[in-house]
Amino acid sequence: MQIRKSDTKRQAIVETAYRLFRAQGFDKTSMAEVTAQVGGSKATVYSYFSSKEELFVECMMAALGNYMPGSLKHLDGSRADPRAPLLNFGSSVLEFICSTEQLEVRRLIIAEAARSGTGKLFFDKITALRAQLSAFLAACMALGSLRQADPDLAAEQLGAMLEAEMLEPLLLQVRENTPDRNETTRAARRAVDAFLRAYAPSSWPALQDTHRSN
Amino acid sequence: MKAKTEARRLAILKAASEVFQEVGFERASMSDIRARIGGSKATLYNYFPSKEKLFFEVMHEAKTHELEEAVGALNAQTTDLRQELLHFGQRFLSVLYSPEAMAVRHLAIAESRRSESGKLSFERAVVPLEKQVAEFLRRFMKRGMLRTGDARIAAIHLLTLLESELWLRSLLGVLKSVRTEAIQGAVRRAVEVFLSGYQRR
Repeated sequence: MQIRKSDTKRQAIVETAYRLFRAQGFDKTSMAEVTAQVGGSKATVYSYFSSKEELFVECMMAALGNYMPGSLKHLDGSRADPRAPLLNFGSSVLEFICSTEQLEVRRLIIAEAARSGTGKLFFDKITALRAQLSAFLAACMALGSLRQADPDLAAEQLGAMLEAEMLEPLLLQVRENTPDRNETTRAARRAVDAFLRAYAPSSWPALQDTHRSN
Repeated sequence: MKAKTEARRLAILKAASEVFQEVGFERASMSDIRARIGGSKATLYNYFPSKEKLFFEVMHEAKTHELEEAVGALNAQTTDLRQELLHFGQRFLSVLYSPEAMAVRHLAIAESRRSESGKLSFERAVVPLEKQVAEFLRRFMKRGMLRTGDARIAAIHLLTLLESELWLRSLLGVLKSVRTEAIQGAVRRAVEVFLSGYQRR
């Protein structure tokens, strides 16, 4: 997802629509309302986005895409010892995912995905973001710091384990307080440690029990 | 209006369950359901304010029961932990990834801002399930077959790994139904990685 900074009109549309979608949901937001608030003609809005569905996907992915580079940059770290980069990446992603705004975005995406047929678009974009984690894990496997396995599957499993303790309770509002950094860091550590033990190369005993989860 | 009774509520759920099974969710109407139990439409709506709510309750009840059976079947005496986990995983995912359960979970998240159903369902179904799986795993930690650690976290990791290939796909509607063979593959990969991470070496 890229909002070109020069393209101020496009960005104004996305920002306005994002605010409206979050405040009132997909159904109650109309292209006419977006147009009225951005100014200009409906034709202009449609020249950027051919449908409300497309605009919706763009808004939601912008919310994700604008932040993710911050988390993904942690994956520039060492492939020879992946623990630190994965911990930093994991804590950062988890903190992001558990923020009130992102939870709202997730709920909106899930509520809309099945109905408006936008689910596949979201899924592809999320998969594209995860590809960078896959690439990091593949590099570790090539180097021997992780055992040989399917890096896409490993990335999917790590992602799921990172979210495991908190995401569903938060989405369902079983818990309402946003976890603080301390809590997300500890959950990320438990997930990364379990993941590293599962993917430890057999000739790498150091990873097996040295990092105990708490 | 008469006070609500549990007997009446259960009668409505039973009738609704029959109607949903016979004609499917889309074609089922509150009128069909009311016709089967008698009484006024107002009474029915007093118990369940919408068809969605009724569907949620019917399916939630049925699926919770099936999940309880799956977890209840876990045999803590087994010497073949891998086989036991494979077997459990298969049952667990078969229940959770039935079209009805997928619809219920989707609804729970989609409606979580407006309705407490999802929250209640998590507390009634998921929390006890996690506890029982944790209890099961704790036995194997004690017997030295699994690495000693927080059994609750181990249970959450196991359950999440089992779902990891399916959860998001299902919630985003990318996956509308899951074949038994697909579940088998997902379970095998999840159990393998869980044991690699948690088995004592």
